[in-house]
Amino acid sequence: MNPKKMLRIFTVGAGLTLLFAFTQAHQQGGNAKIKMPYKKAGLNTRQAAAHLLSRFSFGARPGEVDAVAAMGLEEWLEQQLEGGLTDNEANERLKSMNTLLLSNETIANTYLTPPQVLRLAVKNKLVVRDSVKGQDKPEYREQIRQLMVQQGLKPFVELQTQLINQKIIRAAYGTNQLHEVLTDFWFNHFNVSLTKPQCQQFILTFERDAIRPNVIGNFKDMLVATAKHPAMLEYLDNSSSVSDNNALAKNPRRIQQQQNLNKALEARMGDSSMKNNAIAQQLVNAKRVQGLNENYAREVMELHTLGVDGGYTQKDVTEVARALTGWAVKPLLDDGPGKRLLDKTNIDQMQKRGFVLENDFIFRADKHDEGEKLILGKTFDGKTGYQEGMDVLDLLSRQKATAKFISKKLATRFVSDKPSDALVQKMADRFLKTDGNIKEVLLTMVESVEFWQTDALREKIKSPFELVISAVRSTNADLKQPFQVFNWCSRMGQRFYYYQAPTGFPDKASFWINTGSLLNRMNFGLAFATGKIPGISVNLLALNQNHEPESAEAALTTYSQLLLPERNQEENIKRLTAMLADQSVADKIEAASAKHPGDATMDETDAMSMNKNLNKKQQQKNDRNAMNRKDKPFTMAYQNGNNNMVSQVAGVIIGSPEFQRK
Amino acid sequence: MIHRRAFMKSGAMALFATGFGGLPNFIASAASGQKILQPYKKNKVMVCIFQRGAMDGLMAVSPFADPNLKILRPGLYMSPLEKEGGLFNLDDHFGLHPAMASLQPFFAEKRMAIVHGVGSPNNTRSHFDAQDYMEAGTPFNKGTASGWLNRVAGLMGHDATPFRAVSLTNALPRSFYGDNEALAISNLQDFAIQMRNNPMAGKTVSQSFEDLYDQTSSSLLNKTGKESFDAMKMLNVNELKNYQPAKDVVYPQTALGNSLKQIAVLIKMQVGLELAFAESGGWDTHVNQGTTNGAFARNLKDFSDSIAAFWKDLSAYQDEVTVMTMTEFGRTAHQNGTGGTDHGRASCLFVLGNDVKGGQVYQNIKSLAKEDLEDRRDLPVSTDFRAVFSNVAQSHLKLQNSKGLFPDWNGKPLDLMRG
Repeated sequence: MNPKKMLRIFTVGAGLTLLFAFTQAHQQGGNAKIKMPYKKAGLNTRQAAAHLLSRFSFGARPGEVDAVAAMGLEEWLEQQLEGGLTDNEANERLKSMNTLLLSNETIANTYLTPPQVLRLAVKNKLVVRDSVKGQDKPEYREQIRQLMVQQGLKPFVELQTQLINQKIIRAAYGTNQLHEVLTDFWFNHFNVSLTKPQCQQFILTFERDAIRPNVIGNFKDMLVATAKHPAMLEYLDNSSSVSDNNALAKNPRRIQQQQNLNKALEARMGDSSMKNNAIAQQLVNAKRVQGLNENYAREVMELHTLGVDGGYTQKDVTEVARALTGWAVKPLLDDGPGKRLLDKTNIDQMQKRGFVLENDFIFRADKHDEGEKLILGKTFDGKTGYQEGMDVLDLLSRQKATAKFISKKLATRFVSDKPSDALVQKMADRFLKTDGNIKEVLLTMVESVEFWQTDALREKIKSPFELVISAVRSTNADLKQPFQVFNWCSRMGQRFYYYQAPTGFPDKASFWINTGSLLNRMNFGLAFATGKIPGISVNLLALNQNHEPESAEAALTTYSQLLLPERNQEENIKRLTAMLADQSVADKIEAASAKHPGDATMDETDAMSMNKNLNKKQQQKNDRNAMNRKDKPFTMAYQNGNNNMVSQVAGVIIGSPEFQRK
Repeated sequence: MIHRRAFMKSGAMALFATGFGGLPNFIASAASGQKILQPYKKNKVMVCIFQRGAMDGLMAVSPFADPNLKILRPGLYMSPLEKEGGLFNLDDHFGLHPAMASLQPFFAEKRMAIVHGVGSPNNTRSHFDAQDYMEAGTPFNKGTASGWLNRVAGLMGHDATPFRAVSLTNALPRSFYGDNEALAISNLQDFAIQMRNNPMAGKTVSQSFEDLYDQTSSSLLNKTGKESFDAMKMLNVNELKNYQPAKDVVYPQTALGNSLKQIAVLIKMQVGLELAFAESGGWDTHVNQGTTNGAFARNLKDFSDSIAAFWKDLSAYQDEVTVMTMTEFGRTAHQNGTGGTDHGRASCLFVLGNDVKGGQVYQNIKSLAKEDLEDRRDLPVSTDFRAVFSNVAQSHLKLQNSKGLFPDWNGKPLDLMRG
């Protein structure tokens, strides 16, 4: 008997020890049988499987609800938490993306942002007269392109496209769905944005190295990983937050150096005849970074840990900022002065002086504030350098307010926009008991009846990304051009990786649903199902074993079940059928197509077939035609295995209110 | 009957009422609100144009009389003396760039005001940070979830149509982030159920959706669904296609021209627009910015001509509209080594409207002498952008109060608006 089974048998009969066994096993990697109280909430296994998939994946693929019900919900969740399933389809589609494994250093020196390109052009005297509009000129662009090819450089947009596409591919085709969903959740929690030039090059590695490995691990590990990552250090400016309140900076030799620098700056500043403006600019930049910057310190408390009502003061913000002075990005640019300096420096010597180098993070002891700090009532003596910042993050990660804030955010994402206090409290207690073990908190959530109750079912509105990916998954669509997904998400209000504020996208229905975005959701459904999105193909008939539905009503019934498993669609079908059968509409369409028989487009034909299908005789003929696509006009109604009536019905279903819910 | 015809004349609502029966949902629901907003009545509209990239305020509105300017910018200096291509002399101290010829008459008619030396108290020279702070309206706090224009919407004290706050951009700008509904739409014609080349099927499908949203048990989807269809019918995409600007008005065929044209359409259709947002790019002139000609001048001409076309196109609606421009910061007082200017501090902005006490340059600028510059290189910020934004918004939109509009700011609003 394998240990897993033994444990199960043990737990079934074990009365009081049961609780203990749970805690133990969860902490050891989760071999205990998870107990999901969906029956208590009145759900059968299939309904529960559909609900679980709607929250812990980007949508069920065809047959997946049955598969999960058959293997057991508990087993499925174990697997998903583990996250080690082979990922052939996603990997195959990611194969051609050559930037996904690159280091920050390679990226920063190879994938140039537009300002870097401009600098390159200036350096090589390629800049044309009209600097602003001139960059659009083909000859300039060609010169730049050639220069970049010669030097092995690439435009940042290439990497940016792959960043966006990889997220889409993993969400649509990845087997470890829960990890994908959580990566999306935590990225948004620790939001960084492509809109900020200083951090945009590091966003790919931020998701890959700081978020993805930690999504079900320990919260503190993720907090620390994000705090030290170049993307966050640049996005919230901690890299430029410095102090000279330390022994190194007070060294007389250094003070002299600084004074010389200032003198040079004074001399050059505002000098219009200045020949070497770039140097002065560098000096100005150097001078500009002098001082404390509180941005990260404030947001790490307000947004990442304690929450806005988490009981900290402005004084705490300043003190945390002081504790994190010197936390910066290691110089990465090959031709930058910082890198040259670093290359010449003896690392051991540096470490002896309190510097810390770790991947692309550097702790600059010479920029750290060594004064005493008082943070959330705890005194830090200022003598521990790098460790002080680590201790502060540890302190923040252990606060009750943090446990509650994180638990509420998780419950809001996975249960409902307004999770009950009782549920949040249960999760927060587990968070504190397990030192912020995210997996434990999630298990507490699914082991609570609140997760399964009717007021949680279908209560969440899909984000645009969730909508599109669930459409792709539920139809087995083929994303040959994944970027199209991004364009549609943008139109529907979720330009992912571009949310400018550190809050991330608000996770609530009212943010996603407004008049403009709702029409776009409907248009997405239509465009998607009728094959109008370039590079995205859907074979709807294949979903139904290539069986042609006999009528619009049959199509509605069939595809509602396929696309919305375990949802009650009777009312929708009844209402829609009545409308589709409206003779006056059918007549109008007939008349319109009679008037312009020559330019009967795909769409017109599909509208015709949709209504004509209501006529049984016609339908039978149609069915025969489906096998033998020679007769007109119905030949036009079939293309790539899709029937246009079916496409239209599927489009309406995907654009329907029910499909917006999860 | 006469009454009905008069009603029909009063705007797109007429089409709506006759063609589709009944009042739109958002008007019906407004009846229970604080103050009923009638979409077919003219609304006050504030149009904001963000010049992304940091416009060189010292070139757009040049303090030519300051002797330091010529020394700081030997290659960029323009004087008002030249017959052709010289500055428009505004007040013997400041001159308007010749590329702004189309807006100059509005200054002369005292309908356009200029605020100079305006900017943020936060001295960041990062485009991203400065735009973020300006749009959030909190220069020292990045975590502010809402944008200042969204907060304006919240302070209007009446219910709104879905078209109250519209941004002619692909994604919602930071200014519009927040709890009050705001639309981002780069092309109004997208505001429809689209079945390409097939209006008939489009109608059937549209009807299907309307029916489905009508009966959904999710109250949010139900309510927003109703509003979407009401709004869609109200906007009447077919009319958009055939839109003819007022006589002799030609919009530049540029992104800004196109955005402003669509804003004019929304205003004329009287669909309840109160806050509009558009963007203008290309202001980051580090290299060869030129003087009377060149990159800067061309961009400024587009900017100016687009606004002028918009203003003329509004004709009968001019009383209701105020246009305000903004940019994240200005540029160095001195020119750099490549014929351009680098990131600086203060810039200038323009406010155009019949309620504007125009024909003046509002400013507290000392001089461009080194000792008066910030860090001895930049025009310092002598007017907080919030002093301008709060004055224009509160006065033009008749906000009941401006509490919370700019949290943490206790400054005094400027006084450049009448009434």
